[in-house]
Amino acid sequence: MKVKEIMVKDVTSISPESAVNEALGILQKLEISGLPVIDESGKLVGMFTEKDILSYILPSYIEKVGRFIYEENPKSTKKKFIELNKIKVSQLMRKDVVTTTEDTTLCEVARIMLTKKARRIPVMDKTGKIAGIVARCDILKALDLESKQVV
Amino acid sequence: MFKRFILLILLSVSLGFLSRHIGLNSHQALAISIFSVSILGTLLFWSFRLSFAFLGAAILLATRTIDLENLIKFSSLEVILFLTGMMVIIGLLKDEGFFAWIVSLIIRTRNLTAKKFVFIISAISMALACAVDEVTSIIFIVAAVLEICDYFEVDPIPYIIISVLATNIGSAGTVLGNPIGILIAAKSGLTFEDFIIKAFPLALVCLLLTIAIVMFWYKRSLQQLDRQIKEFGSNDMLIKLVSIPADRQTKSALYIFALTLLCLAFSHRLDILLGLEANTILLIVPLMAAAFIMIWKNTKAREFIEKDVEWWTLLFFLLLFAQAGALKYTGATDVMASKLAGFAGNSQPVLITIVLWVSAVGSSILDNVVLVAAFIPVIQSFQSLDLNLHPLWWALLFGGCFGGNITLVGSTANIVALGILEKERNIRVTFLRWLGIGLTVGVVTVIIAWVSLLFLPFYR
Repeated sequence: MKVKEIMVKDVTSISPESAVNEALGILQKLEISGLPVIDESGKLVGMFTEKDILSYILPSYIEKVGRFIYEENPKSTKKKFIELNKIKVSQLMRKDVVTTTEDTTLCEVARIMLTKKARRIPVMDKTGKIAGIVARCDILKALDLESKQVV
Repeated sequence: MFKRFILLILLSVSLGFLSRHIGLNSHQALAISIFSVSILGTLLFWSFRLSFAFLGAAILLATRTIDLENLIKFSSLEVILFLTGMMVIIGLLKDEGFFAWIVSLIIRTRNLTAKKFVFIISAISMALACAVDEVTSIIFIVAAVLEICDYFEVDPIPYIIISVLATNIGSAGTVLGNPIGILIAAKSGLTFEDFIIKAFPLALVCLLLTIAIVMFWYKRSLQQLDRQIKEFGSNDMLIKLVSIPADRQTKSALYIFALTLLCLAFSHRLDILLGLEANTILLIVPLMAAAFIMIWKNTKAREFIEKDVEWWTLLFFLLLFAQAGALKYTGATDVMASKLAGFAGNSQPVLITIVLWVSAVGSSILDNVVLVAAFIPVIQSFQSLDLNLHPLWWALLFGGCFGGNITLVGSTANIVALGILEKERNIRVTFLRWLGIGLTVGVVTVIIAWVSLLFLPFYR
């Protein structure tokens, strides 16, 4: 089975110029955790995920500080959350996006997901435009189906 | 990038030709030229400076400027191992929440006033810099300062700058504060005890004076913080903001750290007691502590070495020391030392002045380790001129540490603190905003060191 058979073709994307709170609204509405970021020319320029928002609102030094427990929510976190409407998606998105092509096998996409630590991967067509998106759960469902057919 | 690369080649080649022109032989000129490539590499290509160090070492070997045996001898493995051991200890302390506990201590300060805040962050910055190292220390202090400034809604810049100034000054207080401390100790024979007796008090005096200067300099900011403290009332929310689970493991980690510090403090006495070469115990202690940590936390042993040890920096240091060694091996530093001593009329006060101010000004632009690595063989060469080297070693230490305060790129602590500020609050401190207070504190502290080294017999 190839990626094109299981990918989600109706891809919701966001512009790099959109405000982060707008992107967050889409994520909440569609109950998904990430969106591809596509510029005016239709080129994929990044991936924007819930993780990017969390990384932004929590202090960047928390990993370096070591072991501790937040007993209260810091004021800075609330302030940063309120200011999400002033931040552009392009400021927080991940720019080095891992992509795949429509004719890639499921195991190859799974390998990319594992080695590159990606939860979802945009699928590009031959013209370099986004043709779909594939997530870990799509791969697992398809592999499950394939194994049942074999049995 | 291409232009910078051409600039690097042109400058280093010109320096080589200039060295030949003033009478150095071809190997000496090549050693100088290659060392300058490493210096320029750190200035122009910071993100991949290690590549120039690799290339330089390879050229030195290929051109027989230095042989393999001496390249390894001069790479100061003892310093690299000391730093590796300390990085493992710091990794354990971080894992066990020691640094988060320090942050919570600062933000839990009761009956906070602006002056009290400045005293606390300055004192803890210095103490942490003395006990761990300046770069580790500054991350935690900045974290505490940002939380407090956010809570009281005041500009964090003055307090971040104060913490950095105190950290750089504190880094001269012990062998642990700065890589140049252990480098100077290893090459000069100065002990941990010497640092505690001679460097720490001077750093403390400089810190007290710096506190007075910054309180005057940032008078308005302090007044504003006092007004905000009155308006917001006590910092109740901050007091309970974070907690550190205190368990047996945390206490054990603290005991290991305390024992390490104690052994380091008495390392000279133990050397004498056991009839060992000077500073042997100083280098053994971090290795022993790191070994115990890896036995104790054996499932994470590999993680301590792979994640907590900054191999990128250590490898750069190792090759830099080897290249500085090539300057000594070829006799280039003997020529430089004799020219410098001739210029100073063989006067020790003049040489102290030159070493102190050149290292201070140099450290304000360059990585102080690069500068100190270059200076060490020159100072060692003064020995043949029958000069007392001790005040010169102290001049190098104080110049290298205090000079880091002059500009915002003067030390790694400055760059790390301002990097966090920019990332967290989107605030960029301008070169001139830093230079005002940095130059004032830098010049005043270097003058204190200068006067002390010239007039106090204590440092001879």
